Amino acid sequence: MQTSVQTDSTPIIQASDLNLRIGSTQLLDDASLAISTGERVAIVGPNGAGKTTLIRCLLGLTQPDSGRIEINSRALAELSHTELARQVSYVPQQLAERISFTAMEFISMSRYAYGGGGGRGARAGFKQADEEGMEATEQAIELTGIGHLRHQALSTMSGGERQKVSIAAALAQQTPTLILDEPSAHLDPKQRDIIHSLLAKITREQNISLIVITHDLNWASADFDRIIGMKAGQTMVDAQADAFMQKQTLMDIFDADWLLHPHPESGRPMVLPSPSQKP
Amino acid sequence: MTDHTKSKLLVALLGITLLCALVTPWLGHHLPQWNVIFRPGADDMDAIIFWQIRVPRVLLSLLAGAGLSLGGVVFQALFRNPLATPFTLGVASGASLGVTIAIVSGMHFSLLGLSGTSLAALSGAILSIALVYGIARASGKLSPTTMLLGGVAISFFFSSLILLLQYLSDAGSSFRILHWLMGDISRASMDSVLQLAPFIISGVLIVSLLHRELNLLSITDDMAASRGVNVDRSRQLLFFAVSLMVAGIITVCGPIGFVGIMAPHICRLIIGSNHRFLIPASLLFGATFLTVCDTLARNISSAAEVPVGIITAILGGPFFLWLLLRKNRSLP
Repeated sequence: MQTSVQTDSTPIIQASDLNLRIGSTQLLDDASLAISTGERVAIVGPNGAGKTTLIRCLLGLTQPDSGRIEINSRALAELSHTELARQVSYVPQQLAERISFTAMEFISMSRYAYGGGGGRGARAGFKQADEEGMEATEQAIELTGIGHLRHQALSTMSGGERQKVSIAAALAQQTPTLILDEPSAHLDPKQRDIIHSLLAKITREQNISLIVITHDLNWASADFDRIIGMKAGQTMVDAQADAFMQKQTLMDIFDADWLLHPHPESGRPMVLPSPSQKP
Repeated sequence: MTDHTKSKLLVALLGITLLCALVTPWLGHHLPQWNVIFRPGADDMDAIIFWQIRVPRVLLSLLAGAGLSLGGVVFQALFRNPLATPFTLGVASGASLGVTIAIVSGMHFSLLGLSGTSLAALSGAILSIALVYGIARASGKLSPTTMLLGGVAISFFFSSLILLLQYLSDAGSSFRILHWLMGDISRASMDSVLQLAPFIISGVLIVSLLHRELNLLSITDDMAASRGVNVDRSRQLLFFAVSLMVAGIITVCGPIGFVGIMAPHICRLIIGSNHRFLIPASLLFGATFLTVCDTLARNISSAAEVPVGIITAILGGPFFLWLLLRKNRSLP
């Protein structure tokens, strides 16, 4: 999995020196991030480090006080809502259980930025957009392997199934970049592995850039090209996965003394709890 | 259920609504002679009862039912709460306060063809939405829960202002306010139908055009925004559309509660949550429901007519409780 997809050197998303202060809290403190086509970047850091705020800025959901975000060399502020939605798509931590749309309805709704999203023939006269929408929807369903869930309501699905539908919907949005906020945090270990290998497969086959917030350092080490470590609103460390997984770096960011050990098969550095930390 | 089945269901629902519209004008304490009614220029009593009392009344209840039901659909999606309606959120109280002020102060002017009363109602409705929204925004997060609680508070506040105004006004105004507050369609005339129609039609048009936005907004604001929806603008348009419909209904018929909760829920259970189908289904169901309730209201007692608001409230109270106590809430 560590074979890196060929990456383009010009970044498709570049955020520089983002600052955001709400009340007395500095949520972002000169935070920066850049990602190239096909690159996989994990954002890690303690709770309250500003990880979610940073990705909310990239998605246009939160306005930073200062700083600049460029998407495909265009300022984010100049993009319309639909233009932005054709550049980045978003998978939230988890979808609410109350959602009673079927998988098919939910996924086709993500075609909004292309004039679709109300079911077939949503915009009369836009037959071509409609066919492209159906094709994108079907492709996303196939890629995520949820064909059997097509007509099932999200409210009746398991957490893992709902998360696959959520990823399929983001894929149907056909954006070069996918942003995910702790996509596997609430799942059991088996479901978590399924989501991880699904994401790996997607980036391998589709050459989609991936920005993922996670607390799972071993996943970040195994499946990502770069890891960004955040603390107190700052993007403190931005390094290749190997360079990031160092005792001192982890100490700086998490204030915790962990053991690092290579994975028996892949050889990737893995974090183990230190025995001395037992109470 | 496939989209094809849902379309068929909508056609069936349209059939039921049309049937209801055709049958209900004939029902009442007096059965009109049908051969008299269709004679041109008939000034027979039967023709007068039919054309000048019953038909306008049925048309009015169809319009009001459709508007109340659609208002519920929009609010339940925007607030992502099954109990949200223009009534639970204070929009109806705002409009009612506007009308009460208009009655007490004897407002008799019109602007751009709109009566002073309906403008007062529209201002009241928009004011209460702005307040609810402002409270939620001031609290930092625009969470549906905060808006819902703010709406309940404003609703109580406005209702007590209405009571105060009623208490302070003379006996004549006081009686008019009381009667109107019960929610009544019995004063229907062709004029009132024509007065209400533009409010409902423009509201329905705006909401129908925004059915894709409503689908996404019913998930979360973030989800809608990340899919490309201009959340603020869509929400403002939808709030305005609901204010229009509610203000029109409050002015002409008075507050008629619970239709906005019952009709959308029953439709959602039958046809699902996709607003492309839910909007037309709720329009038709709400229209039929209120018309049937009003037919009951004017026939239930031989002594006097019961205001339709009482009938919908009697049916709606237990329904509201059932919704509240239902275990598996997968709505909206």
